[in-house]
Amino acid sequence: MIVVERLTKYYGEYPAVRDVSFQVDKGQVVGFLGPNGAGKSTTMRILAGFLTATSGRATIDGRDVFWDPIGARRRIGYMPENCPVYPDMRVDEYLWFRGGLKGLGRRDRYSRRDYVVERCWLSDVRRQLIGTLSKGYRQRVGLADALLADPPVLILDEPTAGLDPAQIRETRKLMRELGKQHTMLLSTHILSEVEAACDSVIVVYQGKVVEDGSLSAVRQRHKGKSLEDIFVGLTKQERV
Amino acid sequence: MRPTLSLVRREFAAYFTGPAGYVAAFGFLVLTGLLFNLALGLLTEKGPSGVEYPMQVMLGGADTPALAQVAGVLFWGLFPAVTGMLTMRLLAEERGTGSIELLLTAPIRDWQVVAAKFLACFGFYLVLWLPTLVYVPVLADLHAEWRLVVTPFAITAAAGVVLLVLGLHAVVLGAPGWLAFLLLLLGGAAAGVGGYLHATKDAEHFLTLTAGIDPAPVWTSYLGVVLAGAMFLSLGLFVSSLVKSQLVAWMAALLLGLVFVLPALLRFVFDPGTVGYDAVYFVSVPEHFRRTFTRGQLDTRPLVLYVSVTLFFLFLTVRSLEARRR
Repeated sequence: MIVVERLTKYYGEYPAVRDVSFQVDKGQVVGFLGPNGAGKSTTMRILAGFLTATSGRATIDGRDVFWDPIGARRRIGYMPENCPVYPDMRVDEYLWFRGGLKGLGRRDRYSRRDYVVERCWLSDVRRQLIGTLSKGYRQRVGLADALLADPPVLILDEPTAGLDPAQIRETRKLMRELGKQHTMLLSTHILSEVEAACDSVIVVYQGKVVEDGSLSAVRQRHKGKSLEDIFVGLTKQERV
Repeated sequence: MRPTLSLVRREFAAYFTGPAGYVAAFGFLVLTGLLFNLALGLLTEKGPSGVEYPMQVMLGGADTPALAQVAGVLFWGLFPAVTGMLTMRLLAEERGTGSIELLLTAPIRDWQVVAAKFLACFGFYLVLWLPTLVYVPVLADLHAEWRLVVTPFAITAAAGVVLLVLGLHAVVLGAPGWLAFLLLLLGGAAAGVGGYLHATKDAEHFLTLTAGIDPAPVWTSYLGVVLAGAMFLSLGLFVSSLVKSQLVAWMAALLLGLVFVLPALLRFVFDPGTVGYDAVYFVSVPEHFRRTFTRGQLDTRPLVLYVSVTLFFLFLTVRSLEARRR
């Protein structure tokens, strides 16, 4: 579903992503791990079509993100880090607007909006201005937006960052449910979340893929160490 | 098409939920109101002093009295400030808050984003001018005369108007869509056809409009203002795509806009007919209005300038958005 081949991205002289290749099969939920600044967000932004790669290619469901950007973006529900949604709109208005932006017809917009509002527990804040919502609710609005057009692929950049423990638990539950219908690539710093929700993991460090495989295969390769030890070992942070 | 329309609607509505649109409208209406007041004073002056082209006073092109000149300079000096206030938000805010990431990852092309944002601010700009239409009957000295005329065409036209009003009520009151649509369609057709035939075929008309002052300057001025505004808005939109701060976007739009305004002041330096004046005339919008549009002439040179600068800066805005993806 998601194929990334030799993707490289330079910010000026600085290589943020170096020769990254991986593949996510249909129906899989993949955790995208790595320390801060490893190139996770950059890779996801390239996949979502916000940035262009310096070299290499990426396809979503067979559509190249550079040569067929509209086709690729139609198949993606993307939720950026920190979820920058318009604060001056109501939740309902915002989802209505986003539905139109994604090309949904009138009837679809009504039904999909009702569905995602229900799904992301937003029913009690439908008429509220997004600017007045707490961070957790805003995050859910972003998630609802990603789900709006019912895309086959979901790309979520730190969906649980900045949430309280109860919200994290709810979100994780939602991820698990969504994983049954969508192919998902989600980045996170919370390793227990990966163990709870993901089928496989990709670990990047300094712009390169250092580990890629299903959870059990990765554990086997590292002789049954815990995911935390594996992560620290791979990203060479033992001394810290 | 649907994504673009959705974006136009959201951007247009955003003018009414934020303060910038109201501030721009307030400043604009105070200035045009002041200029109208001056024009009205000159139109009702006793004795030999008066005004030949009231639209010229309205758009800040009059030299006498001194107050009209001051108001004119103020009007054109603040004109790019008003259009800049409309455009400063459009892309700078999105870049500042990061919401541009969500916009540019939606299945919509860059040129559609730019077109939608431009159409939205252009629409609000037209809304700014809408209240000034109230001044038009005075500026053209319009007189309306009603008379009861009963002919088949007149009855058709009147019935069409009634149907249109009913249709509008149906829209406002939330009647079923097909009913409102049918009423508006029938009413529009009857009013249009009946009105046209009534105006061309009947000997007597139930409404006669006579303009005491030549009405051509009114519509040429409005045409000029619409296109000149589009030019200033496209400048502002481009600047807004370059920066993250709305304040910087506004100031840069104002400065860039003044490039097309300030040369007009040089007309006091150069004699008309010299090469210097011709060069200045080319890029000074207030001079275009003072000399042609407000006198009822349509000079195609400024019109070509406005349209081509608009298209050029919209093109640059698309390029600038594209460059942000690198």
